[in-house]
Amino acid sequence: MFRTFAFVAALCAALLGLLTAAGREARREASVGRGPDRAGGRVERCVSCHAKESEDPGGAHARLALGCASCHLGNPLAFGKERAHEGLEREPGALSTVALTCGRADCHAREASRVATSPMLRNAGMVAVDRFAFGEIPSPDGRETIADVLAAAHPTPAQDHLRKLCAGCHLGTRRANRDDQIGGNGSGCAACHVARNLDEKPRRHPAVDSKVTDDRCFGCHSGSGRIALSYRGLVEVEKGEPFAHAAPDVHQAAGMACVDCHLHTDLMGDGTARTHKEDQVEITCEACHGPVREGGEKRWEEVSDEISKEILAREKRREEEDLLRKGKRGGGPPAAPDAATRLGTRGTPLINLLRKSSSSSSSSSPPSWLLVRKLDGVELPVKQTPHDRNHTLRGHERLTCSACHAAWVPTCDSCHTSFDASSSQWDYASGRETAGAWVEKPEVFSWAPPLLGVRADGRIVPAAPGMIFDVDATAAGGGRISRRLLTPTEPHTTGRRARTCESCHRAPPGPEFEAGTRTGFRGLNAAERRRVAAAWIDRVTP
Amino acid sequence: MDRPGLTDAPAGRAGAPSGGFGRLSFGFLAVSVVSGVALVPFYTPASAWDSLERIEGGLAWGFFLRALHAYSSFAVLVTAAIHIVQVLAAKTERQLPAGVWWRSVALLPVTVAALLGGFVLRGDAEAIAALAIWQRILESLPLVGVEAARLFLGSAPGDLGAAALHHAGTFTLILWLLTAEHAGRVYPDVRETVLAGLVSAALAGTIPLPLGAPPSASPAHLLGPWSLLGLQGALAVVPPWVGWVAPLELVVLLGLVRHGKGRGRKVLVALIALWAAGYAFFTVRALLVAR
Repeated sequence: MFRTFAFVAALCAALLGLLTAAGREARREASVGRGPDRAGGRVERCVSCHAKESEDPGGAHARLALGCASCHLGNPLAFGKERAHEGLEREPGALSTVALTCGRADCHAREASRVATSPMLRNAGMVAVDRFAFGEIPSPDGRETIADVLAAAHPTPAQDHLRKLCAGCHLGTRRANRDDQIGGNGSGCAACHVARNLDEKPRRHPAVDSKVTDDRCFGCHSGSGRIALSYRGLVEVEKGEPFAHAAPDVHQAAGMACVDCHLHTDLMGDGTARTHKEDQVEITCEACHGPVREGGEKRWEEVSDEISKEILAREKRREEEDLLRKGKRGGGPPAAPDAATRLGTRGTPLINLLRKSSSSSSSSSPPSWLLVRKLDGVELPVKQTPHDRNHTLRGHERLTCSACHAAWVPTCDSCHTSFDASSSQWDYASGRETAGAWVEKPEVFSWAPPLLGVRADGRIVPAAPGMIFDVDATAAGGGRISRRLLTPTEPHTTGRRARTCESCHRAPPGPEFEAGTRTGFRGLNAAERRRVAAAWIDRVTP
Repeated sequence: MDRPGLTDAPAGRAGAPSGGFGRLSFGFLAVSVVSGVALVPFYTPASAWDSLERIEGGLAWGFFLRALHAYSSFAVLVTAAIHIVQVLAAKTERQLPAGVWWRSVALLPVTVAALLGGFVLRGDAEAIAALAIWQRILESLPLVGVEAARLFLGSAPGDLGAAALHHAGTFTLILWLLTAEHAGRVYPDVRETVLAGLVSAALAGTIPLPLGAPPSASPAHLLGPWSLLGLQGALAVVPPWVGWVAPLELVVLLGLVRHGKGRGRKVLVALIALWAAGYAFFTVRALLVAR
């Protein structure tokens, strides 16, 4: 009796099981992709579903070369969507998973590890200056990074200020935790190396490449010093919008992109963590325009920077392919080891600066140089600084190029910042709105020739009112702070013509600054101003 | 095989050989072997994870076949364990000659080894971890440890060829031979085999057998095969050699039961119960840690 019952029960259960399995089988059959299931010579079933052309980033990261999982992780061997998307990285390049994506051992491990020291990731200078301005640390120096700030268990008012206003541009902040302005950029590697396609319909997989167009820089670098705006000749006349037009940088007018000047070590770090961005930036005006510092020009065979050498080798291969395919050579860096190259301050070569063949010029004339625009290969002549009266004026030896050639700088004469405890604001640390909002009420946006300041090393550089603000942080646990700080700046508004002598020597006294935003940096003191004015009087008085 | 088969004796009565679940276990073994043979063409030890994905997602009814194989294999152990409890409760162990009894007891570790082999053949993150633990346990065997590990697990890292061979060949053959000797018949009872097939199909259809995390993944907690969770829990606090000493202890205790009488048998059964309780404790511990 029991056995019969057991059989009947098992039979019913088995029928139920088979019916359930039949349903599952139908779902499985429907979910299996129909396209090819290989990419890059290995099984990659992602492409059996993601077969549309619009899903292909193309170039070196083409779908059929790398597949999807190399960047997006997930499970490339799975047949169904659900399993295939387990562990998916929707934002490849994000630094929390970069060791598995862009930074995997057989791809860009070296570059990914260097990004750990990039100022764009660490933001240590921004943190130090902000905390110094709030009176929380004694000097604008420090090793505290924005990641430390975001991880602070009990943030100080300055840390809270940074978490709510500044951390959106941090390379480690994921796309979903960013503000509207830079929402189109991914984080980590993707922030620079993935094309923005905010308005493109239908959405395509963006290109992933080293051709970093200016729009990728614009989102982050249009805030604070506003160099991305200034470079284009745009002036913010109200907070955010709209823009007034001023003279664009002469390099921008020549069609040069940010990456045409800035070296990979400037942007991605070089393995050494530095606090302030000007300590990181290797490129100088003199590197292209001369006079070249001692050791600032070498032969390629003497260059030690491996990344540049690899780029050069890649360009050489591309050039040979062009020669085979089109019967002509394309533009690009010279491949000969004895060819000369110029270097940044730490020895990184300017791979797109070419020494022109000497056959066309006389042996007595100085060598001429060409700059190859990285994005389109257009060659531009690079004018060398003449050894004329204007550039050898006595008493001007300490001036940097931009002290005279920076035409203007955006100014924001005052900024009242307060903390509104009754409101709420996005907190990049927690990725959600939290109580309390920092409110900035700038008075007047304008633009003017830059002020001049004296660096700790004695060089005279452009400067701008940096932190002119009155902070009421009492509701955030701080106090009322009023700061008048001067900051050194590279305005990115280079003009072919230098500013006039009068713009310095007959400038009105201007505001007094209590300190600089760098240790040892200061504005001209009263005696120096008198000397500058007296120099003009000496010159014009018969 | 001229000895009358134990399974011919009536079941469920005092003094009967307690063969109900034993026969069912043989039936499950038959289902497991047949479904396993059906899976063989689709499995490549050198690309285990890909094979599993293909069976699960790319092969019509492959998920069902794999689940059928897994559940019937699990049921072999479950029904065998119940059979042992029945035998101990009914005190029928002396119905087998001593040699046959000892070899029958050996079926238990062989079954577990076959199940462990099947687990390892998944090639997922948990399987890779289990393989490493299995290797360490084998290597802790005195004198022959390294060679035993090489024999059972192979010498090429990542190649599951040796494990597959022993899972589908060595262990299955030993299981069948010893079960046949124990049951006194070469083939299982048709009724029990049909019943085992129906139960396995019911389980395979209604309870999907999940695939683990990809081998490249590193989940926070890795769980071994369910039958060895007690050992996994214990190995967190004891050295690797306990991994073979503890099962050996159970086998010896079970083997000695046939020779024990009166109080001696009671002590042996109590020790087996204690062993089982300890194993259950460590199983729960491993599950709690994983949660």
